[in-house]
Amino acid sequence: MNNIDKYNKAFIDVFAVEESVLNDNFSKETISEWDSVHQLNVITILEELFDIMLEPEDIMEFNSYKKGKEIIKKYYIEF
Amino acid sequence: MARWIIKNVRMTGVTACVPDNIMETNEFDFFTEEEADVFNNTVGIKKRYVAPEDICASDFCFVAGDKLLNELGWERNSIDMLLFESVTGDYRTPPTSCILQDRLSLPESCFTMDIPMGCCGYMYAITVAGNMMSSGSVKRAILLVGDTAIRMGSMKDKSRAPLFGDCGSAIALEYDVLANDIIVEFSTLGKGYQALMTPHGGYRNPITPNSFEYEDFGNGIIRAPIHALINGMNVFSFAISKPPRTIERFMEEYELNKDSDIDYYLIHQANKMIVDRIVKKLKIDRQKVPYNLEEFGNTGGASIPSLMVTRLRNVLMTKETSLLMSSFGLGLTWGTMYMKTQPLVVLNLMKI
Repeated sequence: MNNIDKYNKAFIDVFAVEESVLNDNFSKETISEWDSVHQLNVITILEELFDIMLEPEDIMEFNSYKKGKEIIKKYYIEF
Repeated sequence: MARWIIKNVRMTGVTACVPDNIMETNEFDFFTEEEADVFNNTVGIKKRYVAPEDICASDFCFVAGDKLLNELGWERNSIDMLLFESVTGDYRTPPTSCILQDRLSLPESCFTMDIPMGCCGYMYAITVAGNMMSSGSVKRAILLVGDTAIRMGSMKDKSRAPLFGDCGSAIALEYDVLANDIIVEFSTLGKGYQALMTPHGGYRNPITPNSFEYEDFGNGIIRAPIHALINGMNVFSFAISKPPRTIERFMEEYELNKDSDIDYYLIHQANKMIVDRIVKKLKIDRQKVPYNLEEFGNTGGASIPSLMVTRLRNVLMTKETSLLMSSFGLGLTWGTMYMKTQPLVVLNLMKI
């Protein structure tokens, strides 16, 4: 599994969506199910998949598919 | 720095009491079966004990305290201090500790005090009582720590209602010159107070008809200003950053080796995500970190005593045990405590 597949898998598992709906508009503002539990769940899965540990401020700012990708890149993960 | 080395004070016993009424996650109206499963697996709280409306935190604490005093064989007249730690006291006035002094038949010479400090309550109570006992003028204290936190909030608030459970606990402390030191440190982040609060009902915002008007905040959060609220992300961010940093520094400064000097880490059972993350951050042995949140949820100040009763009873009753404890919550406040217990009186969990 490459990195983008890993990244998408977290969203697919947590939000029970098809990969095709994942794009830069997928965010806290546009997805009604996106609450703190979903957000933390995505982060937990990503941390496992990439073997990283996000800083608290990154966890707080992880509020969209797009922003999440930028945050993960800070941990030397390339997409 | 708010740090104390409390000398000459020994914990002698601990008990806990919960309502005889379990509520499972899938019983909340706002969860679908699927959502309840996700909640159980991620937040980790599968059930919680819920008190009926006519039973207060003081009632659970009374049972816990009464049974503990009997088991210790302490004459009621020998108790010099009673502290009641709770944010869900019987009345706004008088202090519930005074009422409990009478209910427990403690002498008029008993010092009483209420301490409303939330999830760090157990540590606050030990810190206050321990420091007052250290000189030897006060020999015996009973600390009653508990909350009925569920009813503080709205049962239509998906972000809060499933997190909490109701519980009361009792801890006995005794003056003993041979006791091991209790080391404790507290910190406060007052600027974060809005992350956990009850907006109406105090003197800043007294109760009016508006206090009971429900508002839909989206994402399954429906509550009125009279209800306690939680800003989940802010609390999470606080809980995974401040407490573990303090624990690391605390252990370093007291030269406590995380493997050889600590038998158990008792971490406030806020939710599985937070506790798991603290464990991971500190790189501590998971076997040394008992959990009971799957059965009890977050029981506020009684969280750590309930862990002792339900997960460590046999060990605590028979062995000297080194405990490193971490609490965090309302305020925002957080505390770290190190204690090496001698064999304790620990009763089985009681239910009423």
